[in-house]
Amino acid sequence: MNVQVSTSADYTVVCVDGRVDTTNASELEKSMLEVIEGGGTKIILDCSGLNYISSSGLRVFLVIQKKLMLLKGQFRLCSLQPGIKEIFDISGFSSIFSLFADTEAAMNG
Amino acid sequence: MNIIFSFVPVILLLTFLFLLDSFNLVRVKTLVLCLFWGVACATCGFFLNKSIQNLIELDFSFYSRYMAPVIEECLKATFIFYLISKKKIGFIIDGAIYGFAIGAGFSVLENIYYLFQSPPEYNLLTWIIRGVGTAVMHGGCTSFFAILFVGAISRSENRILAFLPGLLLAILFHSGFNHFPFNPVLQTLLILLLLPFAFVLVFSLSNAKLQKWLEIEFNSEVEILNMIRKGDFGSTKAGKYLKSLKEQFTSETIFDMYCYIDLYLELSIKAKRNLMLKENEFPIIVEDDLQLKLTELTQLRKQIGKIGELALAPLIRMNYRNLWKLNQLN
Repeated sequence: MNVQVSTSADYTVVCVDGRVDTTNASELEKSMLEVIEGGGTKIILDCSGLNYISSSGLRVFLVIQKKLMLLKGQFRLCSLQPGIKEIFDISGFSSIFSLFADTEAAMNG
Repeated sequence: MNIIFSFVPVILLLTFLFLLDSFNLVRVKTLVLCLFWGVACATCGFFLNKSIQNLIELDFSFYSRYMAPVIEECLKATFIFYLISKKKIGFIIDGAIYGFAIGAGFSVLENIYYLFQSPPEYNLLTWIIRGVGTAVMHGGCTSFFAILFVGAISRSENRILAFLPGLLLAILFHSGFNHFPFNPVLQTLLILLLLPFAFVLVFSLSNAKLQKWLEIEFNSEVEILNMIRKGDFGSTKAGKYLKSLKEQFTSETIFDMYCYIDLYLELSIKAKRNLMLKENEFPIIVEDDLQLKLTELTQLRKQIGKIGELALAPLIRMNYRNLWKLNQLN
């Protein structure tokens, strides 16, 4: 898994590549929490490079969503690969998170 | 002061256990029911103990050491039986908390009774021993009964005898406590130090198990359901196994089995999703067609029959935890 953080306009864009599973979910959580601690309350998670996510990864998303909701911030997911989008649809997580087609749509949405 | 020591420690410990439930498995309504059940058990136990004592005229110390623990632990255990039969307990964590709540309710009423009786020999130290030692012992016994019972039914199919080890241990522990093998103050101190430590240990082990269960099952279920929805199920090991059953079952039953697997996986994933949402204090999602799907699953299970279910056991096993999981959707 590879995580890259960049700032664009009001948003902090976090790009995650590879697999998010039990072995590295805590690393992703740490990176995201660092962004929040650094004052980033509007986060876009660019999932274009994410090719696998387990329940541990989904739980990290929930933790971040909860933190940002408390801070009245925003957490948006974009560019989900069809396989990953399917997981969100099957499990019903699509209604919990704000999903967008790409980064631009997430910024304007 | 006596009132504070008679029931505050046990309620504080119950609150502490409740806060340790990171997945929010415990339902407050059931917890309150457990407390009331404990109160009812104490009332029932009081009259039962008195009647039996009068009937067989046993020495009080013999009775309190050997007879009362059996009666009281059996009474307290019945509500755990009920909760398990209704699939309201899924893991050791919620079982332990419900069990402790029953014991807490029991000891609260018992101590209130003694408060009103207020025997002259009772001083503050006695109340500390009653409130911290006896009350926590009552909670601990039922809690460990629930832990062992839930552990046993999760491991084996034999639910008839699964309760026995836990019940025997609870009776033995209760009886041992009533023997006062150590100085009562030391005994109370031991309980106060060891029991919370034991709970934290058991809870952290159970939590790790729950997370592992969630992780492994969720991922494989999503993967299989994905294959089914894409029409690739036949190429998977599970699909090949289902095909191999064609010789033993009619094509209608095989079709029902296919629908059963599809629906079971969908509902199982949703139950786990709700567990994850509860863990993070999000409101759970209840889809409009959920009840219909649960009814359909029950119907399909009936149509497949016991033999069909046995044939599907390598793919889906309707064990206690799976039934509890689906019950969570209700």
